[in-house]
Amino acid sequence: MVETIVRTALLGIQYGMTLALIATGLTLIFGMLDVINFAHGALYMLGAYFGWVVASTLGSFWLALLLAPLFVGVVGVAIEVLSLRPLYDRNPLYHILLTFGFAIMIQGAVVELWGGQTKQIAEPASLAGTLTIGSFDYPMYRLFVLVVSTLLIGVIWLAVERSDLGILMRASAHDSEMVDALGIDVSKVFTGVFVFGAVLAGFAGVLLGVSRSVNPGMGFGIIIEAFVIVVIGGLGSFRGAIYTALLIGLVSSFGALVASTLTEIFLFVLMAGVLMVRPNGLFGATEAT
Amino acid sequence: MVLRAMGKRSNRSESDRSAIETVSRRQYLASGAAVGAATALGGCVGGSGGGSGLTVGFALPFSGTYAMLGESIVNGFDMYLEQNDGEINGEEVETVERDTEADTNRGVSVTRELLVEEQADAIVGPVSSAVAMAMMDTIKNESSAIWLNANAGDYRVTEQGCLNYHFRTSFNDWQTSAPLAEWVYNNVADNVCLAYADYAFGQNSKNFFSEAFEEAGGEVVGEVGAPLGTDDYSSYLTEIENSGADAVFSFFAGSDAVNYVTAFTDYGLNEEMTQTGSGFLLSEDTLPAQGEAAMGMYSLLHYTPTREAERNQQFVSAYTDAYDSSANVYACQGYDSAQAFAAAVEEAGGSDPDEMANALSGMELESPRGKFRFDPETHEPIQDLHVREVVESDGEVPVENKVVNTIEQVESPSWGCSLN
Amino acid sequence: MKAKTILDVIGQRTTSQTGNQILSKRGRLAVALGIGTLAVAGPIAYSIQPFWVYLLVQMLVFALLALSLDFIFGYAGLLSFGHAAMFGAGGYAAALLIREVTASALVVLPTAMLVGVLTAALIGWLSVRARGIYFAMLTLAFAQMIYVATFTDLPAMILDTAMITGGDNGLIGIQLYELFGIDFRNRLNYYYLTLGIVALSLAGLVRLANSPFGRVLQGIRENEERIEFLGYNVRRYKIIAFSISGGFAGLAGGLYVPFQSVAEPGLLHWTVSGELVVMVLLGGMGTLWGPMLGAGLIVFLEDRLGGVESWEIILGSIFVAVVIFAPRGLAGMIIAVRNDPRAALDNAKRALRNYLQEVRG
Repeated sequence: MVETIVRTALLGIQYGMTLALIATGLTLIFGMLDVINFAHGALYMLGAYFGWVVASTLGSFWLALLLAPLFVGVVGVAIEVLSLRPLYDRNPLYHILLTFGFAIMIQGAVVELWGGQTKQIAEPASLAGTLTIGSFDYPMYRLFVLVVSTLLIGVIWLAVERSDLGILMRASAHDSEMVDALGIDVSKVFTGVFVFGAVLAGFAGVLLGVSRSVNPGMGFGIIIEAFVIVVIGGLGSFRGAIYTALLIGLVSSFGALVASTLTEIFLFVLMAGVLMVRPNGLFGATEAT
Repeated sequence: MVLRAMGKRSNRSESDRSAIETVSRRQYLASGAAVGAATALGGCVGGSGGGSGLTVGFALPFSGTYAMLGESIVNGFDMYLEQNDGEINGEEVETVERDTEADTNRGVSVTRELLVEEQADAIVGPVSSAVAMAMMDTIKNESSAIWLNANAGDYRVTEQGCLNYHFRTSFNDWQTSAPLAEWVYNNVADNVCLAYADYAFGQNSKNFFSEAFEEAGGEVVGEVGAPLGTDDYSSYLTEIENSGADAVFSFFAGSDAVNYVTAFTDYGLNEEMTQTGSGFLLSEDTLPAQGEAAMGMYSLLHYTPTREAERNQQFVSAYTDAYDSSANVYACQGYDSAQAFAAAVEEAGGSDPDEMANALSGMELESPRGKFRFDPETHEPIQDLHVREVVESDGEVPVENKVVNTIEQVESPSWGCSLN
Repeated sequence: MKAKTILDVIGQRTTSQTGNQILSKRGRLAVALGIGTLAVAGPIAYSIQPFWVYLLVQMLVFALLALSLDFIFGYAGLLSFGHAAMFGAGGYAAALLIREVTASALVVLPTAMLVGVLTAALIGWLSVRARGIYFAMLTLAFAQMIYVATFTDLPAMILDTAMITGGDNGLIGIQLYELFGIDFRNRLNYYYLTLGIVALSLAGLVRLANSPFGRVLQGIRENEERIEFLGYNVRRYKIIAFSISGGFAGLAGGLYVPFQSVAEPGLLHWTVSGELVVMVLLGGMGTLWGPMLGAGLIVFLEDRLGGVESWEIILGSIFVAVVIFAPRGLAGMIIAVRNDPRAALDNAKRALRNYLQEVRG
């Protein structure tokens, strides 16, 4: 019994950290740019596909993990510069329609290029096998995902909350004209943030494309879950997104144990519950439009 | 509707785009090259129907995660036409593709469009059972075409619909689950845990299996349902492991099957229990992604491309030549739909739907899957089912299915349907 | 006194597209003309290609749905990302009623509407405390809960009966309406039923939008605090407006389900809500008639592109292009062309130039 609980908790944390990877980019983009990025899931999917292409042609998972996110970053630059940049002063609703359009386009393009067949990125040989914890086998690769995502999020945390870069980013979001007046090119900061979010989504795509299947529907599959996390945490709140991702991870894994058919509903019950008590999310300070 | 198909967690898969391009191009040629582009967009230039020529309407998914199934079915159908110079009974055959997006309401609209606007003589499709259930009314009301059900396996199409026009050129969910139970009991274990995708098809499959397994004398020691489209099966596997069963019977398909099988082996459950399942768990569309994680698992299906039989090998190599991709169960179902349509037209001497239906009832076809015939009572296929084991392969994909046992000419229950 | 102050609030708005009055006299004439044209076009379309009438019915149903969303979103400023809940609730109510009780349109359609109202009232009551995106996400949450409950047939599980919502297959074989002995199997008759209901709904909502009640809603959209300060119970206004909107969404569901012969969980899925938002934005929010055009256009495109490969890429590109070059949607374009037809080309050139300038930074 105790073992089942410990084990389920571990699985929940692992699941939560992978969600955090995706939610982090989403919340950063919203926090800084005020953009609700519906294409975030599509970028995650694109990362997985690029990763699959690199891994299967060059035969190296590590190269895939390095290159694929950069390719996604390039797509991110194109989207930001060509479409978002002229639209920052518009009502954020238009960003939904715009990024929705991109999400559909990317999904269509992926089916066009690689077909809809489910793929999977080959596991690196060095991370094959399992690690036995008590009487429980834990796959090495999943452990690797847990460690990498935790480290990555830790680094981003420090960067956003402690460094000058983070201060600059937040300042740009808060008062872009002031930052502009200081001689810093705000539009470059915005591009940077968007691309960073895209790279992060792409990275998550490659990382998860090994232990999960790669398919065109994966982007739309994850986007609502990621949104729910960002909203419960409080739009734009970095900490909120991470705590909530972990919470959702735990709720899902324990939920699967208790009432497996209803796990999907827990997510929304949780969101409704939180928002009714705290209408701006757990860590949302200001009101969003 | 557009977005619905995307957001809906899908659980299947796809492939070769170049093949469908040729198909579409041919379609335009058939409908008159001059109006090609206009037909593509408008689809309404004069329609077809009337006069001479036969029209086949594909109500299949061509976008999203189900796209590969739709394309394979069309490829299979097309291959038969090509082998017969595009003609059936001396009449030219035009094919029209409409994307159901694997969405129920879209499926209804598309079926109506094919029947009313395109005046199709036969509807081929759909892929999802929910779409098939919803199409029944439209097919019945229009009563203008036969319906070659090339993949949707829900038994309730027969139980609730029992349509004279409906012919299952594929399988039903009873066939891909129940007959495996006795084999598992005799050869694998006397106790199982059931793990399934929690929607109609998964529920039917596990119910049929568990009924038959208990009848054979076995015991079901656990049941785990996971929502359709689950990404991470880790916690569900904990439950399966805790059941202490010696074997698992599963229904998952497409990307769910990939996620489930990969995780099952990752967590080392394959060393503790034997994985068995309905054939879609370990099919040609999922095996390349599952790879070695699938080794040693058993499944039941009506078609296996590696099965040694001359008819099958001919089909497989012709398919590979034509589409530069390997044949699969969906292609076979498409091919058999074409065979059935041709046989119906020839036997009936035309495309009157009632006469075609009468002609097909009880008819036997020589298929790559082996002989099969349509049960006169239900129009369900009476066919061989193969128990397959995943073994190593020296082909492009590291693993393949090998037939280890054949259950011959399986008849399904009639579920109260009596057409004869 | 109060009304005048509200007008002040509304007047502050600079982005207003059509002034305070929804539909000017000329606009109303145009809408009446449009409905008249549709009435005449029906039989013509039917005689050329009967399927077109099916398509028209579908376009009208989604036009009604988009209209209902625009009333609450474009007009009153509440972004509902859960409108599929009311659409589906109305649809399932109609399906269950037709199966178990009666197929009389006089009973079923008002019930579908009422169920839409009640569903919206409940969701609205629970959600209006939150604002903006948070409100949107709450409506999404409740809609998705209803979706999952329907998909898994939770009601049957709780009541321990075999079937209520029919799970993922839904309820099939729903028969057409009965009304004064009209044969709705002739789809032209169903078309007129739908057209009539849509026209009445539009007339009703325009009237409501232009009433004092509508003014208050518009005021809430522009400046909630001020309206509150003026002594209006903003919360109550929002819930009532949301319920009215939900009623029309339920009505659309009631029209759609028997026409399609099926009620299925897909009606309730968030992607329907998302698509609706897209229809409203594409059509031009806040005009009531624009979103109806947007809905019709999307349904039409989707159907006609259904046989073309890569339609996803085409549709996605259209969304992107509209946002960049025609942010006020179809309605905005039509108004611009009407106001000054000759300037249309210049406007387009200017938009392109502006865009290029912005991209360069």
